Amino acid sequence: MSESKRFIVSSSPHVGSTLFTQRIMIHVCIALTFCMIAGTVLYGFYSLFLVLLAVLSAVGAEALYCVIRKKPLTIWDASAIVTGMIVGLNLPPTAPFYLPIVGSVFAIMLVKMLFGGLGKNFANPAATARVFLLLAWTTKMTAFINPLDYAGGNVSAGDFFSFRFIVDFANKANYVTGATPLAGIKADAIAGLGSTEVNLLDLLLGNVGGSIGEVCAIAIILGAIYLIVLKIIDWKIPAVYLTSCALFTLIFYKNGWNYILPNLLSGGILFGAVFMLTDYASSPNTRWGVIIYSAGAGLITMLIRRFGGMNEGVSFAILLMNLLVPLIDKACRPKPFGYKKPPKKKKGVEA
Amino acid sequence: MRLKTFKFGIHPKDMKELSHDCKFEEMPTGEKVYIPLAQHLGTPASACVEVGDYVKVGTKIGEASSYVSCNVHSSVSGIVEGFVLRENAMGKRIRHVCIANDGKYEEDFLPPLENPTREELVARCKECGLAGMGGATFPTHVKLENKNPIKALIINGSECEPYITTDYRLMIDKSQEVLEGIRYLAKAIGAPEIWIGIEANKDDAIEEMLRVTAGDNSIKVFALKTKYPQGGEKQLIYALAHQKVPAGGLPSDLGFIVLNISTALAMYEACALGKPLFSRYMTVSGKGINRPANIWVRFGVPFVEIVDYLGYRDDVQKVISGGPMMGVSLHSFMPVVTKGSSALLLLIEEEIRAVDPTTCINCARCANVCPMGLMPMMTDALVLKNMIKEIKPYNPLSCIECGCCAYVCPAKRPLVQSQRLAKKLIRERKL
Repeated sequence: MSESKRFIVSSSPHVGSTLFTQRIMIHVCIALTFCMIAGTVLYGFYSLFLVLLAVLSAVGAEALYCVIRKKPLTIWDASAIVTGMIVGLNLPPTAPFYLPIVGSVFAIMLVKMLFGGLGKNFANPAATARVFLLLAWTTKMTAFINPLDYAGGNVSAGDFFSFRFIVDFANKANYVTGATPLAGIKADAIAGLGSTEVNLLDLLLGNVGGSIGEVCAIAIILGAIYLIVLKIIDWKIPAVYLTSCALFTLIFYKNGWNYILPNLLSGGILFGAVFMLTDYASSPNTRWGVIIYSAGAGLITMLIRRFGGMNEGVSFAILLMNLLVPLIDKACRPKPFGYKKPPKKKKGVEA
Repeated sequence: MRLKTFKFGIHPKDMKELSHDCKFEEMPTGEKVYIPLAQHLGTPASACVEVGDYVKVGTKIGEASSYVSCNVHSSVSGIVEGFVLRENAMGKRIRHVCIANDGKYEEDFLPPLENPTREELVARCKECGLAGMGGATFPTHVKLENKNPIKALIINGSECEPYITTDYRLMIDKSQEVLEGIRYLAKAIGAPEIWIGIEANKDDAIEEMLRVTAGDNSIKVFALKTKYPQGGEKQLIYALAHQKVPAGGLPSDLGFIVLNISTALAMYEACALGKPLFSRYMTVSGKGINRPANIWVRFGVPFVEIVDYLGYRDDVQKVISGGPMMGVSLHSFMPVVTKGSSALLLLIEEEIRAVDPTTCINCARCANVCPMGLMPMMTDALVLKNMIKEIKPYNPLSCIECGCCAYVCPAKRPLVQSQRLAKKLIRERKL
């Protein structure tokens, strides 16, 4: 008999899954690492530097916020790392070093922490930061270059490690500023052509101009498989989003089927579908809500890509749908098991 | 055979390997037993013995005080020493009848029933104080006496809670008795069909039940998918009949009555042997117990005697009466075995979730696993803000408190507690 023993007393259930918030965030970081590696290989060491800078500023911004507001330090849940990585991967490889800092601080301070921190942000912090940077530094955010020319054998260690963009990248012959495939697709679509000239293999490997994390479709798909197998993200969001994008490509473009794969594999659609649209806090919590949200994002993306003034519309689409999430969730509130419609009230009785 | 199941739910580690091979053993009874007068749902029984009375095993010591109440019987023979206030598993101080055990176990049983009629069976069930022995302890005679026409009696052999192996052992070791009990129950409610649902991880039990029921066309044995909460009444009916019990309604509205294996065995003992309900089979398990076991134990035996008998480790962190998903955690070993004690679990640190809750990350895992189609994260957020009126559309009253939401929550928020709080506040404020 041991009367003095202390046992934990709590409400049921007494057992739980081993998946914790921190672990989820680390899994997402691992999935993002695929894209980070791909980006580094494609565009050189400076890309990695940009992403790490974004991560450091994001974590620093959150720590600073906690210190200023005298709140418990929340950086250990690793969510700031995820936000920082996504901000960094959304930058073009030529971005000046202050862009990741401004972007991350904006994402963490304004979008995340001011609205209550983890899980309370009304919109995806990284998407908001990207849109902010895009509007504030439009030319710098769209200064894309072609990847290092591995096939031509012109890549030296010096090229790979050079911090060339800080100084002057235009002087180096190897780094030709390049148009993204999106620009080509858009031009073809506006010209009313029934097909577009894009090398799909290049799109898969990422041998094109674009943002650091977005270009290599294979890396993104690997990350997506990792997250879906571990059930970190809801597979329905990318699936419905991609289907919706494909469907609206079919509708909006002349001979739409020729545009489906070029559209899906270029630009930020894949990256957005896997890492940004699936953000927990800013995606719906209801089963049907998730489907409406992803389908709606697909519609807006394709509207902007086909008819809008910009080549890319993914972050705008994500942001717009984020703002609709509370409404969608309210409309899609699930009926409880065994729910029966209450008998209709007669008019006039209610008052 | 395609496994029958319900929608959503979770797959917790079942941990049944700790005790599923342990045959039942009789737990020795100590010098005194403390039998609570409230062992069931509904009003407590009123004592019908006086201090100093000599009672035998099976002597009625508490009389059902209303319709939804149960008789209580002595589990030992000896002198009634008095009425004491003791804490029950819920932490409430209630009256227990203290009986000094004289060790003779003289029996005071009822005569066995031969070819009983429906009314006799219900009367016997009431007299013997049967209550649902899965944990909710709803008086069985109330279920048997319902007025709706019954399509089928559903026997719940799913035992979906982790750790517990009582019903599994009963289906294997006492299959004949269980089957007889099931037949008595079916006769008592006038059910033309009997469906027995057993989770697929208990394949020996399925085989054994198929063997003993072979040749009887009115009994069907179904294999159910191993998923929690497969044994929830509404989930079980949905799995077997694909019908949804209306919110706020009872299974009998659809023509079903759900009873579990232990209750069937108690019915057999009450009718064929005349034994009132004074003992039960239970599982004692968890990594904190030295020797996990399935035991036969008399009511009123304090848990401390059981754990001393089987031995336990020093680093036990949590003691649970019932299963780990829906059971009640105890702060001491003082509560006693009652009609609803399906298990006693002693868990150590690696088995429990003893981390502080962090902020909700809105991942929607809770809503995605909820078998009742609720949104626990909304109830949690609103109840903490005291916005009780706004909770209503999220239907916390439909919650069956199965614990799936809190199990999967990566922030480890006490979502079930919030649901309970919301229910209580809604009822109190009559919203």
